[in-house]
Amino acid sequence: MSKASVFYDKFERHSHGEGLKGHATHYCPGCGHGLAHKYLAEAIDELGIQDRTVAISPVGCSVFLYYYFDVGNSQAAHGRAPVVALGHKFANPESVVISYQGDGDLASIGLAETIATAQLGAPITVIFINNAIYGMTGGQMAPTTLMGQSSSTSPAGRNEYNGQPMKMAEIIAGLDGPVYVERVALFDAKQRIKAKKAIQKAIKLQVEGRGYSFIEVLAECPTHLKMDPEATAKWVKECMEPVYPLGVKKDITVEPWFKRNPPCFKGEKLLSLAGATSEHSDRFCKGFPTHLDAQDISLKLAGSGGDGAQTAAMLIARAAISEGFDATHIPSYGPESRGGTSYADVHVAKDEVLNPGSPDPQVLIAFNTPSLVKFGPTVRKGGFVIYDSSVVTEAPVLDPSIKVFPVPFTGIATDLGKAVVKNIVALGALQAATGIFPKDTLLTAIRVALKDKCALIPLNEEAFAWGIKSVEALDK
Amino acid sequence: MALKERPKPFLLPEYCKGCGRCLDACAKDCITLSDQINPLTGLVPVELDLANCNACGLCMDACPEPYGLRPAHEGEIQDFELEDPAKLFGVKPSDAPEPIDLPSEVLPLPRTEPLVIKGTYASALGALLAGCRHVYGYPITPSTEGAELMAKFLPKLDGTFIQAVSEVATVNMMYGTAGAGLPTMTFTSSPGFSLMLEGVSYMIGAELPGVFVDVMRGGPGLGNIAPEQSDIKLACHGLGHGNTHAITLAPATPQEMLDLTMLAFELSFKYRNPVILLGDGYLGQMTGKVQLPETMIKPGIPKWAVYGDAMHRRNVITSIFLTETDLEAHNVHLNAKYEAMKVEARSESFLCDDAEVILIACNTPARTAKGAVQDLRNQGVKAGLFRPITLWPFPVEELKKAIHGAQRIVVVEASAGQLEDEVRLALSKAGVRQFPEIESVRRMGGILPQQSEIMTRVLGQKEVLA
Repeated sequence: MSKASVFYDKFERHSHGEGLKGHATHYCPGCGHGLAHKYLAEAIDELGIQDRTVAISPVGCSVFLYYYFDVGNSQAAHGRAPVVALGHKFANPESVVISYQGDGDLASIGLAETIATAQLGAPITVIFINNAIYGMTGGQMAPTTLMGQSSSTSPAGRNEYNGQPMKMAEIIAGLDGPVYVERVALFDAKQRIKAKKAIQKAIKLQVEGRGYSFIEVLAECPTHLKMDPEATAKWVKECMEPVYPLGVKKDITVEPWFKRNPPCFKGEKLLSLAGATSEHSDRFCKGFPTHLDAQDISLKLAGSGGDGAQTAAMLIARAAISEGFDATHIPSYGPESRGGTSYADVHVAKDEVLNPGSPDPQVLIAFNTPSLVKFGPTVRKGGFVIYDSSVVTEAPVLDPSIKVFPVPFTGIATDLGKAVVKNIVALGALQAATGIFPKDTLLTAIRVALKDKCALIPLNEEAFAWGIKSVEALDK
Repeated sequence: MALKERPKPFLLPEYCKGCGRCLDACAKDCITLSDQINPLTGLVPVELDLANCNACGLCMDACPEPYGLRPAHEGEIQDFELEDPAKLFGVKPSDAPEPIDLPSEVLPLPRTEPLVIKGTYASALGALLAGCRHVYGYPITPSTEGAELMAKFLPKLDGTFIQAVSEVATVNMMYGTAGAGLPTMTFTSSPGFSLMLEGVSYMIGAELPGVFVDVMRGGPGLGNIAPEQSDIKLACHGLGHGNTHAITLAPATPQEMLDLTMLAFELSFKYRNPVILLGDGYLGQMTGKVQLPETMIKPGIPKWAVYGDAMHRRNVITSIFLTETDLEAHNVHLNAKYEAMKVEARSESFLCDDAEVILIACNTPARTAKGAVQDLRNQGVKAGLFRPITLWPFPVEELKKAIHGAQRIVVVEASAGQLEDEVRLALSKAGVRQFPEIESVRRMGGILPQQSEIMTRVLGQKEVLA
């Protein structure tokens, strides 16, 4: 009826928007985009959402949607409009976001984005213009091109080697995410009224926060279907409609659910999530453990996934940093998520860790035989090797300057009733064998790590003490 | 009460393309196609004979042109004649307000004890402190923990983390949120970053901010998940199609993963351009000491955004410039912006003043190189380290100072010369023709150069190549 106020009074963004053409769309005579635009504009008007609307312009002839709509406009790459729409929707949940796309865009290059967004179900509205051909690029075959239909890339007609036409409305309706899917057409007055109502309903569902909706519009492209407007409308009715049956494909009633609070910018909340505290922890070291190295101590912890090598490594790094030193920990895993190799490189430096890797460690803690065999020979002269004597029955011969400490990590931990504390036994052994930190430094790190599981602290303290005792027993 | 008379259609032939939809719609056969080509449009418009018209309105419903068949009562027709071009073609009579900037706020934070966290977590915290509450991503080692932390924290901050269907979807979700004027970021790793480049090019074209944390791993192809500096060239010179550049930051410690992520957001909004944080696989996984800052940011909404409200209704986000002259002008504008970004060049020089051997390295290899410099100094060799912190723009002025008086330059990198190419290009563009032959310590495949290899190269003059 009368021009919707959402349409600009003059299409000044139109690159030919001067003079008369400043009031006419750039679409060909008989093109379906004009009507779809009009119904979209009228729906925005009637729902009173002009100030909230963000229209996503696609690729194809309708890329210039923003010439015509006095709403927020965002242009997207080929096929990516639905995810751009999501980006806008999550940025401002109050906005009404409309992704307007053609068939090459939505059903071909952007299929993954189309399906994933529909299944996500967030309330956006997708208007899908299906004219069975690529319009802007000159009439190539689209996923929706009919069998036998000729195009510039199916000159002899689409055949079985090109696959069958893609029925997007049915595909989308088969997903659980959408709430409303309908296919409409523009070829006669009755269909146009349905199309207009469908577009309005789809946007209304979004306004109400009920969910994702999808309207497929069978549209005419007289220029590339190479027919006059009247014949094209007839072709859509007689040839397209049998392949793409019109009607509602899905319409479920859900309560409004898409409600989101504004993002939180409370510093305390963020700090508490990060585990940051202003409490200064106690220090027990009298200085850097220079008896091991003047500047930088290199350790490697090696075992299988589940041995706790990474946790022990992290505790060493935390202990060092709480004492005011610098420290780093780098984990390294085999491709298996669990049960494969698990190595940790740790450095404790007086001022600054410079080489975070440990290719030639001073201290090796080995949780199994392969780790001991692999890394034992890399330990520096005068270094320390601590290994789990419960599982390593035959240790390889190492440089005589290396001090070796066989400690039954697993045996002690099992006796204590929890095999998982074998890494804490190892930390106790490390403390006693190397004197890297005072006992309290490591114990504090363990207690802090377990602050949310206080019940486990005594067990871990006991495991730590047994690690120390085992090394002291070896000395005697 | 008199019934309101329904208006009949009215048409200016110049707005009619002659598609004939109205012919089909009219039950009274009031409309026919003219047999005359309209000289102004070159098209054949319809003709109305409204003698039988009952003003049902179906023809107006069927007209696809917004200014096509319109309802008009007798006597209203003049309103629509082109008598006053100034009225029609003057300033757009939009009632949308002029957009304005809603500024960001800087909020104070208490001083806290250092955290002991891995690089990806540090970067994620940096993003949250920079005001980012919209994160999209696709899991890829060794960057995944960043996304995992966001997935855990953001719902508690009423923010959004969406795991996208692919990296392609990720970057386009960022495009949408950035278009709305809000901070957004992703964590990715080399193969994922390759996939994002289309979107990065669009963001640069549409002048949108966004932060890409790329934890580089071994390539090409699937390669492996160990550290390599495989994307230096991509980030500095290969960001999708067109005339593209983005500030590229190269952290060397978990602390810098946080600090430079925060800086990345600031620069990204300052220049309305993506910013890339290039870490290596070690930096993603490495746990270390991280001091949190004493302020955080609550973002505003910039005036150029398409937020989806009345204030920003006038705006459009697009990278289309259809006419050649428009696109050239846009590229001239972008190049001027890239030129302005050069003031953001950052670097660190360590013991370079009197150095005879200058090592050049970034990311984790720079730490190792620093260790080598200290050891070389202990052995009486005057060595220094130049560490670019921005790889693009390359800090060439500082590099020139650092290599002044040097007899040797050794580039230490976990790639087959990508950093060395940046060094050569920067020196060449800066007109520096005389500099010592560049020597290299290069490892690949996920192996980082070791200090011993650097020492061998500097002391033994032997080329170290994997």
